[in-house]
Amino acid sequence: MPVDKSQIKEFEKIVVDGIELTADWNRMFDQRTLFDYDSTGCMDKITDLEGGESMGWCYQCGQCLPVCPVDAVGGQYGPMRIAKKLQQGIDLFGDPDMWKCTSCMNCLRVCPKEVNMIKIMPAARAVAVLESNVPKELQDVFEKTFEYGNPLGESPRKRADWVAETGSTAPTMKELARPVDALWFVGSYPSYHKRGKDASRALAKVLNLLGIDFGILGTEEKDDCDSMRLAGETGLFEEFAEYNIKTFKKYKFNKILLTDPHALNAFRKEYPKYGGNFEVVHYSTFLAPLMSQLNFTKELNYKVTFHDPCYLGRHNGEFEAPRNCLKAIPGIDLIEMGRCREQSFCCGGGGGGMWLDGFMSDHINERLSENRVREAVETGADVLAVCCPYEVSRFEDAVKSTGNEGKLLVKDIAELMEEALG
Amino acid sequence: MANNKILVIGAGPGGLEAARGIADLGYQVIIAEKRDRLGGTPDESSYAALTPDLRSAEEAIQDMIAPVENNPDVEIMFNTLVTGAEGELGNFKVKAMQLGKEVVIEAGAVIVCTGFQHFDPGRETQKYGYYEHDDVITLVDCEKMLKAHNFVRPSNGEKPKRVCFIQCVGSRDRQIGNEYCSKVCCGVASKEAIEIRQQVPDCKVYIFYIDMRMYGYWENEIYWPAQEKYKVNYVKGIATEIVKKGDKLLVKGEDTTLRRPMEVEMDMVILSVGMEPSSGTKDMARIFGLNQNKYGFIETTGGPMNTVATNVPGVFAAGACTGPADLEDTISSAGSAAMKAIAAVRKNALVS
Repeated sequence: MPVDKSQIKEFEKIVVDGIELTADWNRMFDQRTLFDYDSTGCMDKITDLEGGESMGWCYQCGQCLPVCPVDAVGGQYGPMRIAKKLQQGIDLFGDPDMWKCTSCMNCLRVCPKEVNMIKIMPAARAVAVLESNVPKELQDVFEKTFEYGNPLGESPRKRADWVAETGSTAPTMKELARPVDALWFVGSYPSYHKRGKDASRALAKVLNLLGIDFGILGTEEKDDCDSMRLAGETGLFEEFAEYNIKTFKKYKFNKILLTDPHALNAFRKEYPKYGGNFEVVHYSTFLAPLMSQLNFTKELNYKVTFHDPCYLGRHNGEFEAPRNCLKAIPGIDLIEMGRCREQSFCCGGGGGGMWLDGFMSDHINERLSENRVREAVETGADVLAVCCPYEVSRFEDAVKSTGNEGKLLVKDIAELMEEALG
Repeated sequence: MANNKILVIGAGPGGLEAARGIADLGYQVIIAEKRDRLGGTPDESSYAALTPDLRSAEEAIQDMIAPVENNPDVEIMFNTLVTGAEGELGNFKVKAMQLGKEVVIEAGAVIVCTGFQHFDPGRETQKYGYYEHDDVITLVDCEKMLKAHNFVRPSNGEKPKRVCFIQCVGSRDRQIGNEYCSKVCCGVASKEAIEIRQQVPDCKVYIFYIDMRMYGYWENEIYWPAQEKYKVNYVKGIATEIVKKGDKLLVKGEDTTLRRPMEVEMDMVILSVGMEPSSGTKDMARIFGLNQNKYGFIETTGGPMNTVATNVPGVFAAGACTGPADLEDTISSAGSAAMKAIAAVRKNALVS
């Protein structure tokens, strides 16, 4: 709080016990307000927003803090801390706290007052986005997505190139020109990122071996933008939602098959608001009951630990299917990390975190992915199995930065299936 | 011949409910009330709205008065101060002064409903400067203003912009001698905070507390609406002192959630004063020879299983004369006392 100059009493000359005091010592302060509470309406700015209401409900019980992944890595974070800062009159707009939340939902899971960060953060960030008050690296991703249809800034024309590149068979809906059972929404990272393509190749192989009647959208596909929505870019999300829904409606299919839990979340919970009502299913949920039909030829002999993606587990309630897939692969010894299932620890990629690593590095001691990788290593696992496209790259980087190279492999569940299929 | 009449001393919510219950069960009841009105403390202290439902206190008390007023089974003695008692179950002779005249009331059993008094924040220490600063008031003063729809700063008559409540004044304090929690002040402060927000919408309201103790439904009926709907600011940490700063009050304390000092300017400070036994309660204990606990409240003998029996057979106590009580407690114990008093005189009549 700035010092009110009128409260400083300076004396031309002051002598105390025979000693003349000069400079700073020659200053006295009036009774002054040391510390104050929200007099500028910082809390109201959030609670007045549609979706922001519950920020003011916090009664400071503190249950959110031990489960907040950002707080766990020294980020001084969690809804209780934010509510307290707002009560003190610290404006969230312009404060780094606006961008630290990964929308992992672990706080809401334990919050007795239902302070809902999943609604608060997008509402507040949407205002920040309108005011162009956004970290640059995140703004760049918004712009890339807007221009190219994917956050990697890759050419939209190359979206289906992975199929030929990896020697996979994945026909487009356009080529098929007939109804299919499953429309596979591949997603941006599985289409463009090197490690994402590995998982796409593996999943295509599995789908073909099972004789699944599927098609992809190819160059007609655009990002689901759920993480952009949670990072405040609601305009971008709406535009892409309308585009994707229009594209889906061009074709006939029974269900949409998803690689990405974030897309699953968007299609299941948000798209109905825009007239898109589709049956959606994550690939692990889809494959789990079909595992016995796969003719595995190789025993893997891996100790595997599984990372529950926030948007598959906590957000959408699927904890068993990925585990059932893994257990069906011969040779895999599945061991659990302490923080698993509902308690799973966020990789740091959600809610815009995927594109805020530079920004976040100023506010935390280690990346969330690094914290998670250390936990995976502690279990003695050889492989950290994942089934969200954000995770492969994040965890592989973290394996290197924590000095665990050679000790832990990061593999998509589909890749493990592919390996066991020989 | 044993006397089956029951004397109820005090005409607050507890006394009124006990009298109603006795009359409803077909027994005769005498109410001795020292004031010239029924209604007790909610009436005398001009309560605005009751906790927890924010119902008009005047209206609610009127609803309690109606069944006993003009009831042939209820005799009401106003301006009657009980001064002495002799006799035993089935045959009490209670002396009282009524407008300068001594009267003797004969009754088979007695229910003491003499209630509490609000803690005087200047009684022990002047920690918060209640008698020093015009704008430091109590929950009781605040009630009066809210009832009159005139919530203003006493110092200048202006509407305040920021006010705070300080909880646990005179309660939970070993030095003062009141180690107990007064039970209702968290709810009453929150209720008043809601009323302030309703009457002066641009006034910010803060509540400084040690623990918020709104048990049971008070949590969802008062605490949550105060915070969620009326945006009352709850700050964990009690204020230690108040000093004058210009025409404002500087409230100093520790925000224990932040673990740092706070010094905040307020237009008004409301002290959440607790409950103490009323002088009437102490007098009745002495007159009837009732055991008192170390705080001066009448001690009931059955622990949690009998909240109205005293050490004297035939004398019962209900409501806040037995300890801090909210309206629900008072009404419940008054009903229990009515039943037990009737049971006592009936049994006694059968034996004798």
